[in-house]
Amino acid sequence: MHVSHRRIHGYGRAAAALAAATTVSLLLAGCGDNGAGGGGTSAGGVVNLTMLTGFTGPDAPSYQALVKQFNATHPKIHVTMTAEPWATIGQKLPASWATGQGPDLATPSSDPGSIFTYIKTNSVLPLDSSVGTGPTQIDSAAFPAPVKSAFTVDGKLYAVPANMATLVLYYNKAMFAAAGITAPPATEADFVADAKKLTTGSGGKPSQYGISLADNNTIQMWPILQWMNGGDIIGQDGCAVVDSPASTDALTKWSQLVAKDHISPVGQSGADADTLFSAKKAAMEINGPWAAAGFTSAGIDLGIAQVPVGSAGPVTLASTVPLMIARTSKHPQQAQEFLAWYTGKTAQTQFSRISGFPPARTDLGSAVASDPTVAEFAKALPHAKLYLAGQANATSIDTDAYVPLVQKIERGADVASAAASAAKTIDSLTGCHKN
Amino acid sequence: MSSTPLAPGRPRTRRPHGPRPSHRPRRPRFNSAYLFILPSVLLIGVFIAEPIVQSGWMSLHDWTVGESHHKFVGLDNYTALYHDHRFWNALRVTVVYTAAVTAGQVLLGLAIASRLRRTTWYTALLRTAYFFPFIASLVVSGIVWKFLLDPQVGLVDAWLSKAGVTPPDWLQSTSLALPTVIAVGIWKNVGFTMIVLLASMQQIPPDLYEAAALDGAGPWQRFRHVTLPALRPALLFTTLIATVTGLQLFDLVFSMTSGGPIFHTESVVMYLYQKGFVEFRMGYASAVAWVLFVVILAVSALQLRLSRYRDAD
Repeated sequence: MHVSHRRIHGYGRAAAALAAATTVSLLLAGCGDNGAGGGGTSAGGVVNLTMLTGFTGPDAPSYQALVKQFNATHPKIHVTMTAEPWATIGQKLPASWATGQGPDLATPSSDPGSIFTYIKTNSVLPLDSSVGTGPTQIDSAAFPAPVKSAFTVDGKLYAVPANMATLVLYYNKAMFAAAGITAPPATEADFVADAKKLTTGSGGKPSQYGISLADNNTIQMWPILQWMNGGDIIGQDGCAVVDSPASTDALTKWSQLVAKDHISPVGQSGADADTLFSAKKAAMEINGPWAAAGFTSAGIDLGIAQVPVGSAGPVTLASTVPLMIARTSKHPQQAQEFLAWYTGKTAQTQFSRISGFPPARTDLGSAVASDPTVAEFAKALPHAKLYLAGQANATSIDTDAYVPLVQKIERGADVASAAASAAKTIDSLTGCHKN
Repeated sequence: MSSTPLAPGRPRTRRPHGPRPSHRPRRPRFNSAYLFILPSVLLIGVFIAEPIVQSGWMSLHDWTVGESHHKFVGLDNYTALYHDHRFWNALRVTVVYTAAVTAGQVLLGLAIASRLRRTTWYTALLRTAYFFPFIASLVVSGIVWKFLLDPQVGLVDAWLSKAGVTPPDWLQSTSLALPTVIAVGIWKNVGFTMIVLLASMQQIPPDLYEAAALDGAGPWQRFRHVTLPALRPALLFTTLIATVTGLQLFDLVFSMTSGGPIFHTESVVMYLYQKGFVEFRMGYASAVAWVLFVVILAVSALQLRLSRYRDAD
């Protein structure tokens, strides 16, 4: 009996040791290197680069096609592009790049201001050494000026544009014809008049809206309405000008058009605004090239025109996604060669043709003029401005100050006091100290 | 009994008969049971305990994701939180939501459970119908309701318009957005409360009702003096669960309103998400998390205390 007890006790120890060993092995396996940290070099001398992007939408094949073409024309470099939602990238890329892991190349966010996070942590490679006009150099002089400016910090270029978009005016030709309007609005005065005329219905609940404006979870449309009149959100000195007379005049005009004339529903997200226009319940929408295919497939008799011109001259909003190289990439030279090719004339011309986006260069006018849709977006490039360009706290300024401001005035709040409150928040975020 | 050879030079001693003296130090023995609990201890340590401690440490720093150095700021994050109007607004929204949903969910669940106590094909069908929303994902429920309540293309507003009623802006109105989210929260969870209370009701011995009836108790008195006392543990459980999940409100507002309009539905966890995973201010977000943890702990303790719940019940 005593012997058998000892034997059982011995089996118990063995089993316990096995359990412990298994646990430790599993934990160690979980803590091990996940293989990230950039691509390597294969036996044939081919350099493998990894690229993480947030292009998960219908435009994803256009980017894949570009990468495929690069791989076909560069036998010594192979780029593997993966796509994950922007939120996922935002959560994991800062830590992985800061610790020397992650992909060689990445688009950190759809917000150009996101580059500050990575520059601050010294995670991203400056590209100045490869800037030039040679075939394997990055021709940054050809980038649209606001883009180059947004990606240049303390005199160093840190990113290239993975894409470039401008906002234009989409309009429903059938609704315009039904309202007796023969052409899209060219001036702000026409814009306002058409928006009112195209709004039909009564009791504050129109059956058809003149325009579909969004104020949250979207690429911003309201800054364009301010810029038209010479207003802005933040001045050159980093201080808020959203409460300046030009800005408040514009905000007053457009908020009253929404709150009193009901030209647009209140409080729409970007998706809501698109749905409204696609459902033929709104006659106009300001949007980018990504929306064209969806509107066409919704059966809209679609027209595309430039954003109407206000007292401050032609202006629209530009959008660009930064593409950067990890400072710890094992193959920075090849990664820079990829960026040079990606932003070169051949690649950008091809990209415009297959994606419908304007090129991220200003010197391809004739090359993309054959496609009227692309030409319309490209035409806006010279006067397009980035939203909150160069602001390290752009996300906070948007969510804490600008979006609440627009949402308040759409609901009838006093524009002057709402703008003053937003200006105070913006100044606290930018660190501006007004005398 | 064989003796064990000792080291040379040590005096050979004879073990006395009888029980071992209690004051004699025991040789430490390896207990293999500890190895069997090692997996659980390690998993809890790595995935629960360590993150809790880490978040507490982070809340004392100006901790931004990706930065190599995090400045120690002591209680500055908590001080900033105290003066943060948006945090207090989020806390108010969370408390209002939790109180309303908990009360609605428990009272409505109790009423439905009482009505569906008898099992027939009809009540079985209704129980399934009431329980069905609970098994659906919160995000899916939120998105479906967002579409249903859309003022332009939503089914609810279309029906109201056909009936001659001007539909309100359910999710765009600053006064209606939170009540609408609360209503969806109750709809989503009432089935769970109903099932738990129903199961508890069916454990009450019929003799108690018969005895009460013989004593002249009417339906209300039987409910008041027989059903409710018997349901007390189940009511406490459902109230506690509803409160804790209400204080953790995130999915529903994220999918229905994104915290808008103008922060009128922004919950504490939504605010935490914004600070931590959009602005990458992990130190500040950790401070928010710790305040929420303390609130949940205090509310749970208060509920247990007020209900005077003991194991003997």
